[in-house]
Amino acid sequence: MPTTFDTLKREQAFRNPSDKEFQTPSLQKVAAPHLESFNAMLEYGDDKHGLLEMAVADIGHKAVFDGKGKDGKLGNKLSFWIDKVMIQRPMLSDKETRSIERKIFPTECRERLITYRGKIQAHLSWRVNDGPVQTESRLLGLAPIMVKSNICHLQHLYPAQLIRHHEETEEMGGYFIVNGIEKIIRLLIIPRRNNVSALIRPSFSNRGPAYTQFGCAIRATRPDQTSQTNTVHYLTDGGVMLRFSWRKQEYMVPAMMVLKALIDTSDKEIFDALCMGDVENTFLTDRVELLLRGFKIYSLYTRDQCLAYLGDKFRVVMGFDDDFLDREVGEGLLRKIVLVHLIDRRDKFNLLVYMIRKLYALVSGACCADNPDSPQHQEILLGGHLYGMIFKEKLEDWLTTVKQHITLDVRKYFTRTLARVPSDVGQKLSYFLATGNLVSNTGLDLQQATGYTIVAEKLNFYRYLSHFRCVHRGSFFAELKTTTVRKLLPEAWGELERFVCPVHTPDGGPCGLLNHLSHTCKVINEPLDVSQIPALLASLGITQTVVHAIRGAEQVAVQLDGRIIGWCEPRLAERVAKTLRFWKVEGGKGVPLDLEIGLVPPSHGGQYPGLFLFSTAARMMRPVKYLANGKTDMVGPFEQVYLEIACMDDEVVPGVTTHQEFAPTNILSIIANMTPYSDFNQSPRNMYQCQMGKQTMGTPATAIRHRTDNKLYRIQTGQTPVVRPDLHNYYGMDGFPNGCNAIVAVISYTGYDMEDAMILNKSSHERGFGYGTVYKSEIIDLGEMKQQGEGILHHFGMGKDADKKWREKLDWDGMPFIGVTLKDGDPICAYVDDTTGRTHVKKYKNHEDGLVDEESLAIISQKSLGDTPPLFTCNDSGDQECQKVHIKLRITRSPIIGDKFSSRHGQKGVCSQKWPAVDMPFTESGMQPDVIINPHAFPSRMTIGMFVESLAGKAGALHGIAQDSAPFKFNEQFTAADYFGEQLIKAGYNYHGNEPMYSGITGEELQADIYIGVVYYQRLRHMVSDKYQVRTTGPVHNLTMQPVKVSTRRRIHSIRNLPSFISPSSAYYALGNAYGRKRAGGIRFGEMERDSLLAHGVSFLLQDRLMNCSDYSQCHVCRLCGSIVSTVSIAPTSLSTRRDIECRVCGTSKGIDLVAVPYVFRYLATELMSMGIKLTLGVKP
Amino acid sequence: MDLSGAPYGSLGTLSGPSITIQELKKDRISFILTETDLSVANSLRRVMIAEVPTIAIDMVEIETNTTVLADEFIAHRLGMIPIDSTDVERIKYTRDCTCSQYCSECSVELTLHVKCTEDRTKIVTSKDLVSNNPQFQPVVEDKNDQGILIVKLRKGHELKLKCIAKKGVAKEHAKWSPVSGVAFEYDPYNKLRHTHYWIEEDAGKEWPVSGNAKLEAEPNPDAPFDYNAKPDRFYIETETVGSLKPEDVVSMGMKTLLDKLGYVQMQLKEELASHQQDQTGWSY
Repeated sequence: MPTTFDTLKREQAFRNPSDKEFQTPSLQKVAAPHLESFNAMLEYGDDKHGLLEMAVADIGHKAVFDGKGKDGKLGNKLSFWIDKVMIQRPMLSDKETRSIERKIFPTECRERLITYRGKIQAHLSWRVNDGPVQTESRLLGLAPIMVKSNICHLQHLYPAQLIRHHEETEEMGGYFIVNGIEKIIRLLIIPRRNNVSALIRPSFSNRGPAYTQFGCAIRATRPDQTSQTNTVHYLTDGGVMLRFSWRKQEYMVPAMMVLKALIDTSDKEIFDALCMGDVENTFLTDRVELLLRGFKIYSLYTRDQCLAYLGDKFRVVMGFDDDFLDREVGEGLLRKIVLVHLIDRRDKFNLLVYMIRKLYALVSGACCADNPDSPQHQEILLGGHLYGMIFKEKLEDWLTTVKQHITLDVRKYFTRTLARVPSDVGQKLSYFLATGNLVSNTGLDLQQATGYTIVAEKLNFYRYLSHFRCVHRGSFFAELKTTTVRKLLPEAWGELERFVCPVHTPDGGPCGLLNHLSHTCKVINEPLDVSQIPALLASLGITQTVVHAIRGAEQVAVQLDGRIIGWCEPRLAERVAKTLRFWKVEGGKGVPLDLEIGLVPPSHGGQYPGLFLFSTAARMMRPVKYLANGKTDMVGPFEQVYLEIACMDDEVVPGVTTHQEFAPTNILSIIANMTPYSDFNQSPRNMYQCQMGKQTMGTPATAIRHRTDNKLYRIQTGQTPVVRPDLHNYYGMDGFPNGCNAIVAVISYTGYDMEDAMILNKSSHERGFGYGTVYKSEIIDLGEMKQQGEGILHHFGMGKDADKKWREKLDWDGMPFIGVTLKDGDPICAYVDDTTGRTHVKKYKNHEDGLVDEESLAIISQKSLGDTPPLFTCNDSGDQECQKVHIKLRITRSPIIGDKFSSRHGQKGVCSQKWPAVDMPFTESGMQPDVIINPHAFPSRMTIGMFVESLAGKAGALHGIAQDSAPFKFNEQFTAADYFGEQLIKAGYNYHGNEPMYSGITGEELQADIYIGVVYYQRLRHMVSDKYQVRTTGPVHNLTMQPVKVSTRRRIHSIRNLPSFISPSSAYYALGNAYGRKRAGGIRFGEMERDSLLAHGVSFLLQDRLMNCSDYSQCHVCRLCGSIVSTVSIAPTSLSTRRDIECRVCGTSKGIDLVAVPYVFRYLATELMSMGIKLTLGVKP
Repeated sequence: MDLSGAPYGSLGTLSGPSITIQELKKDRISFILTETDLSVANSLRRVMIAEVPTIAIDMVEIETNTTVLADEFIAHRLGMIPIDSTDVERIKYTRDCTCSQYCSECSVELTLHVKCTEDRTKIVTSKDLVSNNPQFQPVVEDKNDQGILIVKLRKGHELKLKCIAKKGVAKEHAKWSPVSGVAFEYDPYNKLRHTHYWIEEDAGKEWPVSGNAKLEAEPNPDAPFDYNAKPDRFYIETETVGSLKPEDVVSMGMKTLLDKLGYVQMQLKEELASHQQDQTGWSY
């Protein structure tokens, strides 16, 4: 199994970065779904018309009237429209005059914590009546731009140039930079477009009287990728209603009315189209009859009547121009809302008829409901498409607002109105990216309003990559109690589900909702040329629809992207599908490879049959081998359900199997593929590794100097794993090492490796094992301290009045020296306040020491003024002084006891002891383990993959070879144990990876031989330094005077109602908090903890925790009556100036004593008193 | 002093331990220690790893560092560089020295100043360290050895620092260890049955015999098990990091052991002297 380290190649590439090609081209494809969808906004397909252009065309014209005409006439018409919208590359503002380089590059945005964006330029045209068209160019703000997209400066740059621009060598783009933070629009699963799916939803029956649970829905998509869902509902009276939502309002229209409004038709034609000659089927004919009859009450007979009726009802809702006739409004409604993916009305009619037929089939049980959770009926909402949708809507909103403003005051000039209407579309897009919130009038036909974007965290490379590959099911489903949407369905598994990774999904909340694309899965993002398809279909015998009645009832529809092309016999459909597929794979006949050919054969009560062709964007596709000619076929989730795809060679059934997988690992995501020998592990362990791989301290970036991330974790001694899959090189993982190869002994030694703890070799640690660093960003913004509209009052720098101590850490410019160590409370930067004229400092607040690593002032240009500190200018136009500074601190994190480590098999552990090397066990050759783990970690977890990795790593290290760890390479005949056993024997080691070891302490040979080998270990980012909590005193609850506990409101409530006097033990809230670690909060010292202290007899400690550090208080008690509530202090009299304490009951101060009691006890006494219960204390000296 | 271990052992003799050198190279020595007890052999192993003193860089004062590596990371790398410690005896431990921080009695000062002014990448190695004491230089293997890489510089990068190397033992930090590993074995045929070999099918195929087995007589499978037998033949191989000669490591290890016992002996004498005065009366 050859795989190599590629050391020389990588070294060469790092030394001499190429300016012509990428070293790992595969990495460039990872973010493809994001990039291509964004590029589509401006360039879509070969004709270079972007989606934005289509959107602008779809928005169309708006018109207003001045109402000056007589007799209620509308008057003069002012119509206006957007001609064209362009987004420019990010450039400096024209106000900035000093710079020669006008381009703004992403790295500048990161370092200056600004947004990477370019100007939106719109050409707005208008005319009055039929006068001349006037055009004006307007700036609509700045739109955030995706890095490496076709309007990014980095688009065609290669490693050498990328390095010059302070980017990663293999920068793959696909994200936005918003306020210096990298943001990704996450991929979302949505219903497949232009596909009629049958649904049974109990909630459908709540739509109104007579509504049933049956419906058929289609998410029709316009060319500009916006969509409109149409649903037909079945009513108990046989009627069918068409439902759609418009501007978040739902409307129902009788389907008959729509049918009649679409084309000039007759009841006869509708009857024939719905029945398709199947007059024997009384179920169908009865309902069609009811349908036709039910429509008579409207007394609408012609198309024009129907249109006018619709237009009349929807005039206000649709908001078309006032001079539209009712008829025109009706037509507009049909164009804008009904089956918007089709333009031809006849096509719309045919599809609506098809939907009704399918609905009847569903009601009668002839077909089953389609499962919306199956990938067969899903596609992906791509970031760029969503971005474009929002763009379109904001443009339309702008036009609408303009219209409203003009309507309000027609006399104002058009251009002046334009100036008054807020037109910053760019700002709205930035807001969307920064928050992930969708602010929309229409809702964009989507189910959620929040959670659209995520931060592309560069925690390590695994995590970064997986951001681009993750697909979310929608936040609506996260709140759903049922788990059905999360399930890996049996029909979607096995031979079928290969589009999202079955392993790579998090545990807990988002389990099954947040999935990751399998590594070969591709999301189609360009329009396919399907102009030849209808002709091809006709030549294959698909009949066009002219006369409905002559078709047989058993004929099935042939659809292309939701348009009915024709009808044919099921057997012919099968033949057509086969032929098309052959042509598609072979090429040359005008059938594009990415076309999906979904043949649903007729069945009894199964899926509604037909031949469905899909060519649109946003579908998932993956490559498999087409056995007929051995070439690559792209397969989609719709057709896959009905294909015969074999995985391994022995599964191929001649004559049945048509396709075969290229590799069994193709089902796994990139991250899941990195787990070595994952086929040997128990499956949940592989899931855990996918999580832990993403929490590892690794190498987040090579351009680490130019990054301004809030927190970065880095391991200094990263290595390439000896044991790794081929894909490790394919995805260039060696550019970003994630851990190191450790010598691991599996032995129970000294007891410090119990319960998933692991012993670290002290000498290994001293030689640099797992040494890590955390980079923290401190951002100091002087602008925050001033009021809105005020001038600049604060300047970075140190005045002559500065404290001498500050000078040790800070330079004259007010910035800390690079390399200086900052302790808690040290000054981190100094500034001069104009109002007082004094120097102030900002302090560093962290209990850990930070070393100043890098400072990036948000500089564009700087000039020096004699002896005074340099002035840094920082706003975009370059005319303002610097107010914001970013200081990167380095915090060293050498591994300490309590830090977390893990192997790549979901085997995590905490370092419990750093054991001196001499005390570690050793082998005959003097080898000592870096890590000792306990054998008990294995039996219940069954991570055999880790054993195999240990063997393979040992053999690989001994022979100096890289070991291929891709899963599914070994089998019962060819076992991993034998393969690596032979290698070990050749190197003079035991076949099974065991070695006799000696106790380091006594030198005696251990009774058993020990399993020792090389395992790649990751250091996880969870470290004790971030987690330990200490508290002596701190915030307390003002009723009980006990430390505040509990982090949720509910529990605070429960304390308030706490019957503490009934069960005092539950009042032992010694150290609790709602305050968290930073604000000296504590952890509850609960009853069980109390019990353990009692058991140990350490009463002094008990008193310290539950009394002194909790609610210690003193109070007076009357020895005579035993009361603590009756003691009061009496005012000083003429006889004595002393304030005295007296018992009100006994009337004397003779028996008063001072005692220390918990404060709650006093509270308890008071509460009891209020209930009329006396509490008596016996006081003895 | 008698180090021969238990004289009553069946194999023990009163002649004391003996040593046979199998192989001696520049950086490694392999020898057989016989006629002694396991505890003694293991003590020697432990002492060689952790308690033979050497010189290593302990403090780094960085004046200029414009390289890509962080200060503390360079300091760590410098610490790991082996320094020729043949004359380590002439240097005192800082804790035993009368000076306040460090002085030439208890430390060696090494300086490094490299700046890259060319367009080519410049490498900074242990050879760039300049010692103020010619006896204590960073180790070089031979003439062709370019030294241990510390950091690579690009044009404009500069590294200027001062290192204070001190005497210490690996007990404190691994950088003071003179050895990279000590192989230690006894009873290659497992005659004493101290361990159990895991065997699936055939021991011969699964367990290759150790190289040291050639030096021992093959066991007679019919011979009865001698449960009184004790290990008395130890095969030890020491590989150094270069700071000390391998034979010196062994002898200094033994010396360290002797010193330790000698110290105890001295203490014992003192204790006895103080107890002598009390022996006039019964202690109870």
